Amino acid sequence: MTAEHDRLSEARNAANPWKKWGPYLSERQWGTVREDYSEGGDAWNYFTHDQARSRAYRWGEDGLAGISDDQQRLCFAVALWNGKDAILKERLFGLTNSESNHGEDVKEYYFYLDSTPTHSYMKYLYKYPQTAFPYVDLVETNRQRGRHEFEYELLDTGVFNEDRYFDVFVEYAKSTPEEVLIQITVHNRGPEAAEIHVLPTLWFRNQWSWHNPTSRPSLQQVTATKEFSIVKAVDEELGDRYLYCAGDVPLLFTENETNTQRIFGVANRAPYVKDSFDNFVVHGQTAAVNPAQTGTKVAPHYHLQIAAGGQQVLQLRLTNAPPSAGGNGKSSLSFGNSFAAAVDARRRECDEFYQAITPPKLSADEANVMRQALAGMLWSKQFYHYDVDKWLEERGSDPFKASRKAAPRNDQWHHMFNGDIISMPDKWEYPWYAAWDLAFHVIALTLVDPDFGKQQLKLMLRERYMHPNGQIPAYEWNFGDVNPPVHAWATIFTYRLDKGQQSEGDKEWLKSCFQKLLMNFTWWVNRKDRSGRNVFEGGFLGLDNIGVFDRSAPLPTGGYLEQADGTAWMALFCQNMLDIAAELALTDPEYEDMALKFTEHFLWIASSMGHVGESGGMWDEEDGFYYDVLRLPNGESHRLKVRSMVGLLPLCAATSFDGTLMKKQPAIGKRLQQFLESRPEIRAAIHDPLKPGVNGRRLASILDETRLRRVLAKMLDENEFLSEFGLRSLSKFHAEHPYSIEAGGQRFGVGYLPAESDSGMFGGNSNWRGPIWMPVNALVIRALLQYYAYFGDSFQVECPTGSGNMMTLYQVAEEIGRRLGSIFVKDEAGQRAVFGGAEKFQHDPHWRDYLQFYEYFHGDNGAGLGASHQTGWTGIIARIMHLFATLTPEMALAESKQAYFAAGVKPQSAAETLVGAP
Amino acid sequence: MVETMGYAVALYVDRATQQWVVRDREGNFWSLPTANDSWENRRPFEPQLENSLEPIPGHYKYLLRLPF
Repeated sequence: MTAEHDRLSEARNAANPWKKWGPYLSERQWGTVREDYSEGGDAWNYFTHDQARSRAYRWGEDGLAGISDDQQRLCFAVALWNGKDAILKERLFGLTNSESNHGEDVKEYYFYLDSTPTHSYMKYLYKYPQTAFPYVDLVETNRQRGRHEFEYELLDTGVFNEDRYFDVFVEYAKSTPEEVLIQITVHNRGPEAAEIHVLPTLWFRNQWSWHNPTSRPSLQQVTATKEFSIVKAVDEELGDRYLYCAGDVPLLFTENETNTQRIFGVANRAPYVKDSFDNFVVHGQTAAVNPAQTGTKVAPHYHLQIAAGGQQVLQLRLTNAPPSAGGNGKSSLSFGNSFAAAVDARRRECDEFYQAITPPKLSADEANVMRQALAGMLWSKQFYHYDVDKWLEERGSDPFKASRKAAPRNDQWHHMFNGDIISMPDKWEYPWYAAWDLAFHVIALTLVDPDFGKQQLKLMLRERYMHPNGQIPAYEWNFGDVNPPVHAWATIFTYRLDKGQQSEGDKEWLKSCFQKLLMNFTWWVNRKDRSGRNVFEGGFLGLDNIGVFDRSAPLPTGGYLEQADGTAWMALFCQNMLDIAAELALTDPEYEDMALKFTEHFLWIASSMGHVGESGGMWDEEDGFYYDVLRLPNGESHRLKVRSMVGLLPLCAATSFDGTLMKKQPAIGKRLQQFLESRPEIRAAIHDPLKPGVNGRRLASILDETRLRRVLAKMLDENEFLSEFGLRSLSKFHAEHPYSIEAGGQRFGVGYLPAESDSGMFGGNSNWRGPIWMPVNALVIRALLQYYAYFGDSFQVECPTGSGNMMTLYQVAEEIGRRLGSIFVKDEAGQRAVFGGAEKFQHDPHWRDYLQFYEYFHGDNGAGLGASHQTGWTGIIARIMHLFATLTPEMALAESKQAYFAAGVKPQSAAETLVGAP
Repeated sequence: MVETMGYAVALYVDRATQQWVVRDREGNFWSLPTANDSWENRRPFEPQLENSLEPIPGHYKYLLRLPF
């Protein structure tokens, strides 16, 4: 075990609060639903980037490379000025949804390079141009571009030409749970000396303006010498904290209060406001900062001149250790070499941790991909604070008052109080949690922190998240929207992982999750099965523009959709619940009935998809594929023959079972047999659940072998779904054969679009009509391994279709995993597909090994698209790489479910691995 | 807006005159100076066409030290 594993253990046992301080600042708090108090819910335009430097936030904070405590009372981040920018760089800039031709997009270059799960070591890189940041150019040029054009990126503006930029590395290293060493290294990559102002900023989140004004924290200067300056922070919850700043550096003080003059046109109560540092540093207003050296926001002002190719290092310490009588703190560390050595030590421990968890089979480049994916996931943890009842009240929409205004959203969710650290999809583009994303995040995050994964899953089921009616909140834009039900899958996965690591699973946790998941399952059954025939709707279900119509809106044809994906999700949900119930029933017989219930319910749902002889069902015998069915008001029905991930999801609803419970309780098997014998139409419609496979396993699957082969033939066809870089969300068949339908005098169509969306459906920033999306690929891989555990080596398919190359389903899964990995891993020419045509990223030594984990990837060439830091669910590539470097086909066949968890997840010591530090 | 009993307290900024404006539960409008004891020093305010009242979020009531 490594030092980091020890810290995880201490955190789990509450012996030491190692996770108290972490990267919990958002990258963007402006433009969010929480900060929106507009009448119509126009969040993007109500609280803009331009306002953000001057207007105190209500619910959270943002900053560059920032950290805070886990209740975000005290925050630290870095601010910069290059002497030419119009404003101080305190936060990342990007375009709003309406400003960009492909939806909101950050226009900066920043990289999450490293983090341990306790954040005992973290590293972030921000690339800051030395010329004026081109805010206006980015807005204006993108405004003129249409949906069919590329986005205009920061590199395109020329500001990085001649390498006239700074690389600003920010490292955090905890010497104790309450002491964070901060090392900022600024490199001048340009050909000439250049100046930079660095303001490492400490501030309190403004809670005093919105609540009882007596509880106001304070910051004040304690000492200022030639060697260092010290700030004392006083807060009623955190107690006393100190920021030690190395060097002879002036401290600037102000208040984290709204500049009401600038924002509202009303004179400020006091002269010291949120944008005072900008006014002081950039605009030379010396009266903007408080000469009394006190406030709620402070920054040492380092004004550096760095030679061409040179670097300078700044050191600070945020600690609860007060200055000793000698003036340099109780800690034995001061600044200089001993400080750097302490940071080095934590960096080495970070290396050791990743060496221990990285399978030795991975190459150094693959190990780097895995490590940076996990770094991104850990950096994407954020304090998310939203009291919906309070928010509604503050906007005059208190649901319990007669005289209330209509709220633009979330008025049915007033029970919610969120104030937790949550894994975000992308802290700039999506700085809010999304239910189904979170399930995938957990699959990846549990590689490094299973405790955090368990906590995240449990959190969404808590009464202050989950609706009383059993719905899991989707995301803040509309908590009542519907996300695919993948929570149960993530729950059983995490349980098995825990069982593999701890030798005994956390059954109490599993039981508590199961109870809440039951409520969620019942919500689905009662709300989304319109006809009671076990055929489900659900709306867009996370797949934005994948359908012919907006599946979340009233159909232009009238009628409704029976959704192949919605029904498949419910079939998988049943399987996951059966898995959980069967596990619990091994020790608690009262769960046996639940196991039977979910077995039967799965059979009802699965057979509804594949009824033999029923015309108009989701299975199309001619095409050998599943489609949504449009049920019209006049009683007619049509299959919407779009070959997409919607039709592949039925394949994903597959789970093999070892039959442990049936062996222990033969009566269960008898009841199941009786059920099936009395309903032969069910056995005819789906894979026979009583037919034994390898090692006597049973398979719950919608597809029988014949249909499985037919769907796989399309899925593995490189002219259809199988691209060089993974499975496409829409078949390339539709490049030459777009699907279209006429309704209400309008023509609706779907064609293959391997890159960005060409419509504004759902904001236009997520395209499911062709590109490769990591989470659904992961689900396919999961399903293939389930099928393999059942069918074994004798079931082989051509992969790719038409190649003559036969593979087992394990090999197919592995091949898809390899293709996904090749998005990030260097090819033979040393290029990375994810970088696309961005030459700087491909060749420059200061760029080419810094990875960005995009939201989705070009359907043909693997280039990154969409949100650029969505290590959210794209981080699952780490799990996929780990899986195939750990699990062998022999293990999968011999031990099935627990095989992977038992074999690969125990950490090895550094001596047992061959992987060097990235 | 649903109104059956009284008014909801509402906060505004009047950009035309650069001052805070409050509507109390009786529906009366008041303008506030920017000094610390602003509610005590409130003045009656009659919204006119030339005023430009922009709604302010309710949480600013603490900033303005309103008694409700």
